[in-house]
Amino acid sequence: MILVGKIVLGMAGLGLAGAGVLCSDGFVRVNVTEKAAQGVHINVIAPAVLAPMVVRLAPIAARFAGPAAFPDSPSGIAQAAQQIRRQLPMIDAALASLRYADDFTLVDVDAPGERVHVAKSGASIVVDVDDPAASVHVSAPIRALASSIHQLAYATP
Amino acid sequence: MRCSIRSRTRIAQVFCLLAAVMMSLAASAFAAPAERYLHVNVQDPATSANVRVNVPLSMAEQILPAIHDPELQNGMISLHNPDLKRLDLRAILNAVPTAPDNEFVTVDNQDANVRVAKSNGNIIVHVIDKQRQDQKIDVTVPIKVADALIATANNGQLDVAAALRALNNASDILLVTVRNSSRRVRVWIDSRNTQ
Repeated sequence: MILVGKIVLGMAGLGLAGAGVLCSDGFVRVNVTEKAAQGVHINVIAPAVLAPMVVRLAPIAARFAGPAAFPDSPSGIAQAAQQIRRQLPMIDAALASLRYADDFTLVDVDAPGERVHVAKSGASIVVDVDDPAASVHVSAPIRALASSIHQLAYATP
Repeated sequence: MRCSIRSRTRIAQVFCLLAAVMMSLAASAFAAPAERYLHVNVQDPATSANVRVNVPLSMAEQILPAIHDPELQNGMISLHNPDLKRLDLRAILNAVPTAPDNEFVTVDNQDANVRVAKSNGNIIVHVIDKQRQDQKIDVTVPIKVADALIATANNGQLDVAAALRALNNASDILLVTVRNSSRRVRVWIDSRNTQ
C-alpha cells in the first residue's frame, strides 16, 4: 500500500514538474473570429514552450504530407527562412531590447472599419486586428517568439 | 527605568523613519532614467485614418547597428547625392553653435520657399513645397543632435546611431511636421509610452 502511494506521489510530482516546464515560458494565445454569418471561431491557448517545436516540425510535416496537402509549403518555408536569416541580427536586437522594455504601444492604426494594435505587454507581444471580415487576437511571449524565429530561420523543408 | 525604555524606543523610531526617508531619496536619485520614445503620427483627414507608432529610443539604438543594408551600415547612413557629398557639413555645423540666433538661409522661388534658422539651440528648417499642394515641412534638430550626426562619421556619411543617443539626452521636442491637404505627419520625442 505504501509502495503504491509512493508511485502515485512520484507520478503526481512528475506531472506537476512537467506542467511547470510547459508553463514556464507562458502561453501563446490565438483567437480568430470571422464575422460572416457562419464564420469560424478559433481559440487556441498553448504553452509557449511548444511553439519552437511546432515551428521545427512544420517543414517535416509539410514534406511528409506531400505537395497536395500544402502546395506552397516547402518553397514558402524556404523563402521565409532565407528572408528571416538575412534580418536575424536585427530581429534578435529588437526582441532582446523589447524583453527589458516597459510596456508600451508599438503600433496603433485606426481607420474606418479597421483597427490594428501591436503592444508589448508584460513579457509578451500582443497583436489585435479588427476589420470587417474578422477580429484576430494573438499574444505570444517574447522569449518563445525569439526561439521560434530562430527555428524558422534555419528550417529546411 | 520605564521612561528610559520609552525614550530609547522613540529614538529608534526616529532613526528608522530617517533611514526610510534617506533610502527613498537614494532610490529616487539612483533610479534609472525614464525611457524616451520616438513617436510618429500620420493622419489622413480624408479617410479619418490615424497611424501611431511609438519606439523606445533605447530599442532603436540597439537595432540600428544590427541593420546591414547598402545604405545603412553600423548605424551610419551613406549620402549618395554628389551635392551633399561636396558640402563640408562638419565646417558648417562647427560654425553654427557659436553663431547668434538668426535666419541663415532664405530661398524663395516658384517651386519652394525654404528658410533655415538657428533658434534656442536648435536648427530649424521651414519648407513650403509649392509643387505638392503647398506642402509645409518643419524640421527642428537640436544642434547637439546635428553635431552627433557628423562627429564620428566620415565625409558623405551621417552617424544616425550617435544622433539617437544625443536625442535620448535631449529634452522633449517636436522634430518634424509635414502638412498638406491630404496628410499630416508629426515626429516627436518625449517620455510617454503612448500617444
